Amino acid sequence: MSKQAQKPVAKVRRFPKAFVWAHAINGISFFALYITALPMYTEFFDWLYPVFGGPANARLLHRIFAVTFVTPTLILLIFSPKFLILWLKELITWKKRDLEFFSSFVKELFGFKFKHIKQTFFNAGEKINSILQMFCAILVICSGFTMWFPQFFPRALVQWGYFFHNVGFALGIAVIVGHIYLSVIHKNSRPGYSGVITGEVPARWAKDHYTEWYEEEVKKGNFPDLDDPKHKKGA
Amino acid sequence: MAKEYVKFVDVTKCDGCKACMVACKNWNDLPVEETAFQGSAQSHPKTTADTWNVLQYIEHENAGGGLDYLFRHSSCFHCTDAACEKVCPENAISYTDFGSVVIDQDKCVGCGYCVQNCPFEVISLKEYKDKNGKEYRKAHKCTMCTDRLEEGLQPACVTTCHTGAMEFGDKEAMIRKAEKRVQEIKGRYPNAQVYNPQGVGGTHTVYVLAEKPSVYGLPENPKVPTSAVAWKDYAQPIGKMMLGATTMALVGAFVTNKLFNKEGKEQDGGGSNE
Repeated sequence: MSKQAQKPVAKVRRFPKAFVWAHAINGISFFALYITALPMYTEFFDWLYPVFGGPANARLLHRIFAVTFVTPTLILLIFSPKFLILWLKELITWKKRDLEFFSSFVKELFGFKFKHIKQTFFNAGEKINSILQMFCAILVICSGFTMWFPQFFPRALVQWGYFFHNVGFALGIAVIVGHIYLSVIHKNSRPGYSGVITGEVPARWAKDHYTEWYEEEVKKGNFPDLDDPKHKKGA
Repeated sequence: MAKEYVKFVDVTKCDGCKACMVACKNWNDLPVEETAFQGSAQSHPKTTADTWNVLQYIEHENAGGGLDYLFRHSSCFHCTDAACEKVCPENAISYTDFGSVVIDQDKCVGCGYCVQNCPFEVISLKEYKDKNGKEYRKAHKCTMCTDRLEEGLQPACVTTCHTGAMEFGDKEAMIRKAEKRVQEIKGRYPNAQVYNPQGVGGTHTVYVLAEKPSVYGLPENPKVPTSAVAWKDYAQPIGKMMLGATTMALVGAFVTNKLFNKEGKEQDGGGSNE
């Protein structure tokens, strides 16, 4: 954050602990799954087989991470159903501001001047990311069952399973690359990265990026009102 | 360049002696498998990783209400357009110059994609244990005795067949023979036909069947699964392109950010929001 910002920087809670855990398990599992199957996707990575202790071992690891990949949904469902519902509600709510977001986002992505469009808890880009990832996860998990247990499914379903598995992870990784770039490298959204690890983000950043959500929380008395002159002078 | 060959199987000349099965096991050093009684003289339900050809015994009621006891030597068809070759992620399956389709055991990782995609369901996985007790799998099927072909010999099953139900030779000649034979037996078997399915580009084991393919449990119109084409010809290359495209866009974003946003000053957030 900039020099003028008050110290200590006021922080607000953005994600519940359950989501922080669910997100981390999901991310780690996804990459473990991607890497353990990579030599099956591209022969260029065949050298990974010996790293995993042979193809049979790679298959075993892939199945272990397949199980951990399914747990985040359960974690949210059990420990923070409220957040899950908020999230899903956001995903099905689309207004004009969501569409306006994208033209502004492209400018921001490439480092040009842009204006923030008021967003709710998730911005339109995050919503697209969520929808695509959920779609991919469903594809990959369902087709994973037919591939793991072909003896319980009709042959045609097993055969289409390979196709859907491929579509699911290929689309997933293409989107994830952008997701990670924005959080780890792109400077304007970087506070989101520590946010998804600690669950907390700088208040000022939250207000700028998720104005509607922030203002609502201020009304509820959960977050400090940053425009309040009292607050501006510093604590 | 070797010539393309076809194994021509005329099931109407087969007497069900199973010598082809024995010759195959013998030449390829395949171990015995214990099986349960199948309800007929048939020894195994279908081909396995250790039994590359199985003689089928089918009791069939023909159009005239009479009983036909049908036999068929069943093994890999060696498709011209082989689904197993298409889906193999390790390029372990390849076509030989003879027209046979073979699995490279060193490259095979035992994923079983070929097992699930073969339109004739002739490929199976075999479980092995290495010296440390670790389990691994390899896919197996008939090789058309490619090792014999390379030495100028014919497949073991053909060589041993004593009724002349099997012949091995030049592709065109074999297909002509098959067509001629169908004409000869039409009187006795009105449904007789050449089975050389074009959905897989034709096969290198060509049959004269006495009945419709389904009577033998064979698909009427086998083809490379549409899912396999969608997966290997579209999903996989497009997926790789997509990852490349998003990565390039981000590299572009990174560069333009460095160019146009040199101060590293945030245009939003606490910095410029005064």
